[in-house]
Amino acid sequence: MRRPAPTRRLLAATTGIVALGLLVAGCTPTDPNEPVGEPRNGGTLTYASGDAEPSCLDPHVGGNFPQALVSAQYLESLVSRDDAGQIIPWLAESWTPSDDGLTWDFTLRGDVTFTDGTAFDAAAVQANIAHLQDPTTLSSTGYLALGKVASATAVSPTVVRFTLTEPDSALLESLSQPWLAMESPAALERSQDENCASPVGTGPFIVQSWVKQNAITLVRNDDYVSPPADAGHAGPAYLDEVIWRFIPDSASRYAALQSGEVDVIDNAQPDTIVQAEQSDSIEHLDSPRPGAANRVELNSGRAPFNDVRVREAFIRSANVDDAVSSLFQGTATRSYSALSSVEATAVSNAALFDYDPSAAAKLLDAAGWNESDAEGYRVKDGVRLSVEFPVSTNQSIPAEQSVFEQIQATAKETGFEVKLAPMDLSSWYAALASNDYDAVSAPYTKVGPDVLRILYHSDSIVPAPSGYFANLAQVSDPEIDALLTTAARTTDAAERNSLYADAQNRILEGFYILPLYDQQNHFLLRSNVVGLRTLPTVAVPTLYDAWLNR
Amino acid sequence: MAEPVNRRRAVLRVIGPMAARLGGAVFVLWAVASITFFAVRLIPGDPAQAVLGGPGSQASPEALALVRNEYGFDQSVLVQYLAQLGRLATGDLGRSYALNQDVGPLVLGQLGGTVLLAALALVVAWLLALALAAWSTRGGLVAARVGSGLEIVAAALPHFWLATSLIVVFSIWLGVLPPISTGGATGLVLPVLTLAVPLAGFLGQVLRESLLTALESPFVLSARARGESERGVLWTHALRHASLPAISLSGWAFGSLISGAIVVETIFARPGLGRTLLNAVTLRDVPVVIGVVMIVAVAYILMTLLTDAASRLVDPRLRLA
Repeated sequence: MRRPAPTRRLLAATTGIVALGLLVAGCTPTDPNEPVGEPRNGGTLTYASGDAEPSCLDPHVGGNFPQALVSAQYLESLVSRDDAGQIIPWLAESWTPSDDGLTWDFTLRGDVTFTDGTAFDAAAVQANIAHLQDPTTLSSTGYLALGKVASATAVSPTVVRFTLTEPDSALLESLSQPWLAMESPAALERSQDENCASPVGTGPFIVQSWVKQNAITLVRNDDYVSPPADAGHAGPAYLDEVIWRFIPDSASRYAALQSGEVDVIDNAQPDTIVQAEQSDSIEHLDSPRPGAANRVELNSGRAPFNDVRVREAFIRSANVDDAVSSLFQGTATRSYSALSSVEATAVSNAALFDYDPSAAAKLLDAAGWNESDAEGYRVKDGVRLSVEFPVSTNQSIPAEQSVFEQIQATAKETGFEVKLAPMDLSSWYAALASNDYDAVSAPYTKVGPDVLRILYHSDSIVPAPSGYFANLAQVSDPEIDALLTTAARTTDAAERNSLYADAQNRILEGFYILPLYDQQNHFLLRSNVVGLRTLPTVAVPTLYDAWLNR
Repeated sequence: MAEPVNRRRAVLRVIGPMAARLGGAVFVLWAVASITFFAVRLIPGDPAQAVLGGPGSQASPEALALVRNEYGFDQSVLVQYLAQLGRLATGDLGRSYALNQDVGPLVLGQLGGTVLLAALALVVAWLLALALAAWSTRGGLVAARVGSGLEIVAAALPHFWLATSLIVVFSIWLGVLPPISTGGATGLVLPVLTLAVPLAGFLGQVLRESLLTALESPFVLSARARGESERGVLWTHALRHASLPAISLSGWAFGSLISGAIVVETIFARPGLGRTLLNAVTLRDVPVVIGVVMIVAVAYILMTLLTDAASRLVDPRLRLA
């Protein structure tokens, strides 16, 4: 169909103006990040991580975020997730669950080899699942994610069958995580020390050397063929080499980026992000982590927060919005959800979290906390309304600790005595294990809404042998349990989503948690680093598409 | 007959103090190991979690049982303490809980970097202190005021603040030195300065005080009367006298440099004992903490012996005693 002439002329003019605009933008020296031309091969990129140096480069062992960050450069998973939250093919081309949801057949790519020459096939997947489930591997994250997997067996060279003990609607999301990545079975045969120092995968880079406390050197895998379905290009990576360093101090990390000593840094803090946004030579990449939003959890298992009115009063008395906007200087968005905003299933309800001190005061009156002592704190039966709040200085960044101080100050006006106790990680876990807390904030990263089951199902109040338990709000509600258990078995997407929505509403309306913001995950990079993105699974950066425009 | 007795006495006179020193050193090492062991075990935290990927690990019951048995965490603290002492007595520093490595090679591997840093800082601090003291004692009242002011300020500078300021000035504004230690010699400049400047303040204060006293002593007067040049008086007579307190201070200074290394190595992302110790404490990695502390204790003892020897060299009176 022909368009009328005036529209066509307008279209042509608009196209011209847009093209001119793009051209000008591309030529302006103040905006060097606008890539002109094709990606260039070669060069060494230096990445500086603020996370702790892993003690083992194989993320099967233990399984924490620092391992995920670096291993995403050399290991790959069976599936991945795209920006919309859909599971997409990676090392597995396709998958089919049985009608009862108890067997899953994965069809694998047939053209992939590990960088030690071992073929990637069904037997390799079988060996990896066995490695993760072997107690001597000392896996925790991967082991937990495979809780419902009885076995994985090679049916043919390209088909592997997972047999489950009960239906698991989170299986694909679990398998997309870097802690369940595929490693060469020949390499896994070596001693754990050897495999920790140089794990072998199918990824775009190869671990060449690791000088502890200094750097990990990764080199390009020239035979690479297996990018995830949402990657920016095909074939080997552009970069020749990646130097992966650890700079624990935030200010030195940013100084190293400013001076060009390093090209990318993670764990950027609000003050440096604000500085970087005024710089022409540094770009900011904000990529919230999936799973739970950062939140203050109220211990409903003991007084005073075993009373829903006191929980609501605390939440209404805390002025979180102002604290977040001033202390995070606009780098974090307030959350009103149990889940991260990157989860498509997240339910948000801002009305439940309005700052309303007079409503809070009435709720406390109604709950019997209607007297005040000399210092202005509420009292009931001679007991002061105190909130023990242990704070992990390892997990809560300085800005977050300041938010807690603001919560402390505003809740005081209503009559809560919030006792913030900063402590190191081991002491903090010990305080939680001894149930010596009323409020606490603990991050939890996991792909998909199944994190709700881990955090709010009453089963998670029972401590693991290590003393760890995930349900820190100590939510014990048969209805929430039922919703979460059913959702975890329901593979129909629409039905599953509606079950998770119901569960979230009930959690939010029970005032068990005070959501703060997504789990912050900010990267800063030199403007001449082009094409860097994070994997939409657990938001770790991938350097596969990255190239240096210099 | 008298001769062998005299020889034996002479031998005893040499061996006696040496044996006493050795006994003292062994006692210090035992005390250091014991205090460290109980201090780390007394603070909350489960060492089994260090083995299983850090605090809060959600390790399976099987994995946990395996680790507790393998490392002996299921035994009483006293048994663990005695086992640890037994291993130390045979020179075995044990195996790191968190790093999957033997502590001996791990700590020795990190020792070089820290010793280099501390030694360079000590040398630079001495040079700075000497230059400042020499200038301020001879430059009149203004120089004296400025000198003592600089020393007080330098001595009061916290490592953390100084390191950050040096990075801002030399790496960001001037862009001449790297803000992190990248292995080359240029990467050493800022960490060494960070440690050396406050120490130079301390040494300078002590040095200048005693230099002033020495310059007013009769022996300086007689040297001047013999016609020695001012430079000769300062460098060969007065300074020799004045450096004694500063030399004994250097033994203490070396220890403070090692503790300063914790801050400096973290800020400049430099491999070394300080950073190793910090990580190990965070993770409750008892063998590594004890290993690092023992190595530092040994270094401290050696340094004290060295400053002793240096004092004897400078002061002939000590040689006779």
